[in-house]
Amino acid sequence: MKNRANGLGLVLMAPAVLLLIAFFLLPATLTGIFAFTNMSTSTGISGGAYVVTETVLRKLEATDLDPKLRAGLGEKSYTVNAETLAAATSADIEPGFLAEIEDRLSGKTYAASSAFEDDLKSLPSRPRRIRDLKLATEPFERSVINTRYPDRGQFEAALQTFLPAATKADLETIATASYTGWTWTRDNFIDLFTRADTLRLVANTVFYVCATLAFNVFVGLFLAIAVFYLPSRAGGVFNVLWLLPRITPVVLYAIMWKWFTWENGFLYVAAEDLGLPAFNYMKGSVPTAWATVILVNGFVGASFGMILFSGALRAIPIQQLWSSEVDGANRWQQVTRIILPQMRWPILFVTSYQTLSLLSSYELIWLTTNGGPGSTTTVWSLEAFHTALNNYTGNLQYGLGAAMALILVIVGLALSILYLRLFRFNELVSKPKIEF
Amino acid sequence: MTKNHTVWPVICILALFSAPLAIMYLFLVVDTFSNSAPGSFLPHEFTLQHWRFLWNPDVTGDVWKPTLNTFLFTISMVAIVLGVSTTAGYAISRLNLPFRRFFLSSLMVMHAFPTVTLLIGVFLVLQYAGLYNTLIGVILVKASLMLPLGIWIMKGFYDSVPWEIEMAGVQDGASRFTVWWRLILPQVKPGLMALSIFVFIDGWSEYLLPRILAPAAQIEVLSVYLEAVSDPDSVTYNFNLFKSVGLFYTLPVIVLFVLFQKPLMNIFSGGTKG
Repeated sequence: MKNRANGLGLVLMAPAVLLLIAFFLLPATLTGIFAFTNMSTSTGISGGAYVVTETVLRKLEATDLDPKLRAGLGEKSYTVNAETLAAATSADIEPGFLAEIEDRLSGKTYAASSAFEDDLKSLPSRPRRIRDLKLATEPFERSVINTRYPDRGQFEAALQTFLPAATKADLETIATASYTGWTWTRDNFIDLFTRADTLRLVANTVFYVCATLAFNVFVGLFLAIAVFYLPSRAGGVFNVLWLLPRITPVVLYAIMWKWFTWENGFLYVAAEDLGLPAFNYMKGSVPTAWATVILVNGFVGASFGMILFSGALRAIPIQQLWSSEVDGANRWQQVTRIILPQMRWPILFVTSYQTLSLLSSYELIWLTTNGGPGSTTTVWSLEAFHTALNNYTGNLQYGLGAAMALILVIVGLALSILYLRLFRFNELVSKPKIEF
Repeated sequence: MTKNHTVWPVICILALFSAPLAIMYLFLVVDTFSNSAPGSFLPHEFTLQHWRFLWNPDVTGDVWKPTLNTFLFTISMVAIVLGVSTTAGYAISRLNLPFRRFFLSSLMVMHAFPTVTLLIGVFLVLQYAGLYNTLIGVILVKASLMLPLGIWIMKGFYDSVPWEIEMAGVQDGASRFTVWWRLILPQVKPGLMALSIFVFIDGWSEYLLPRILAPAAQIEVLSVYLEAVSDPDSVTYNFNLFKSVGLFYTLPVIVLFVLFQKPLMNIFSGGTKG
């Protein structure tokens, strides 16, 4: 019986395990791996090709590669052989002319286009126009530069025909420089730790998390206690009102805040009527942008706190409050002496849980200020997201973004494990009572 | 309790705090049915013109295609989350599983763990798997990200089913599978209900994943559609129109929430992120 139940358990677990591995474990591992690559849109994500370009030639100037070899890489030559003849056939060159080239010039190689053109001019059925003649030379052109070689072997073979003098070490240098795919590197982390931006980003993140967290916890606590003491109808109104941001889709919620703070929006018109400075509060100045970011996130977070705290409040035996009133305690004393001490764990839970969420959620900042004005309200996670998946230059730096995400993943893992210890989730594991 | 304080000061402070929310949600509804003079908020005429996007695709583009996409996206996601959490939750709650403690604690870490940080990795996984820019890819990702919470909630519901039911079933000769299917599943129906509503609301509202993992126009969902049409820097700058689109988009969520408020509150306090 024991074995059968084990089998059933594994079968029932299998889909969950598969999905969680594919979309939790694998991405987390990939983030760790790619943090050590220079992967980006321009390198592609699945291996690259070998191409010598002008940029590569300039890059090679810095190495100890023989200048003659470097010059050789940039040269073009003209060869008449089976391969180039095939290319010429498909390039629409007049068949008669092509047959003569095959007949008379097969196997020849020219270092300069002028020599090849001279020989072509000597053929009887050459084209009249000089432009056609030049076009006819093109399929026979052979050069390493600007040709894509899908793998290392082909590239080295081509190099060896062009640069017979090149040594193994030279080939190595050229191949490394001309590889277009991603390579392993520690530069992402060196970059992150040395960049001046990083400090700003960390400071922004710390400020954002602390300010929003304070708002979430204090307002959540205040709401829960205030609603607790209100008559149920009045309390219900506020309960529903503060729950709304939680169920409103983020996009609509962000649009409502835009309407509230944007030019010609609510605050704008109200401020104009009152003679106060009216501008786009969401993006117009740094303090108002921060205020918006904190409030937008805070209103959602506070409702989370409110729900949890309300639950915890209802769990406090009401007799304690009654007896305190008999002893003459007022509301303030009830809150500070009876309610708050018993709310220690919920407060700690909300604080720790929200720290983690705030550190890594950027959706609302992205939809509202998008880190602006400038990059004054940009936090770590938003920057990682922009670097890797959504930037204006179009070159998405997966490697650098993954490095930034990896740091968050590590912080997140450490914090989640800490919470598990703190809240003793292990005690929730009860033993099965049928097989064990 | 005695009234040793008047409630009005408290209500005033609460009202002050809640004013932005009250104003935003009040005008969300009012503005979709009315026009107001420039520089003022008080509506001066009733109109249905902000809702013309429903039948006139020239206004913001076809709205029904994204609606259908959103519906397909959400329904498939609910089906996956529900199916997988129901089985895995039972296995974790009741069966003698090897590595049970390990499963449970890693589930807890995953649940407490912020999933957005994995987005770059998920993006690359989808690219490699060829599922980038497909609706199936986003559905799988979104469903998987919701699994830890789903399994956890279902485990809670299974935990509260008395062991005696199961023991009686086994005693009468039923296999563990039959016990689960015929006896236990009917007991956790409220849990299935609450979870599916919760997942539906969450999936319907999802913006980030479809926007990043499936940007193709033909599989656009409503949240992405709404964000695209409501760019305040665009030429057709009209908040009232966007609010109507937004309200149209949110109506199913509001309806479901109103109908199933009680069971949903349990899950909300169970720990979604904010």
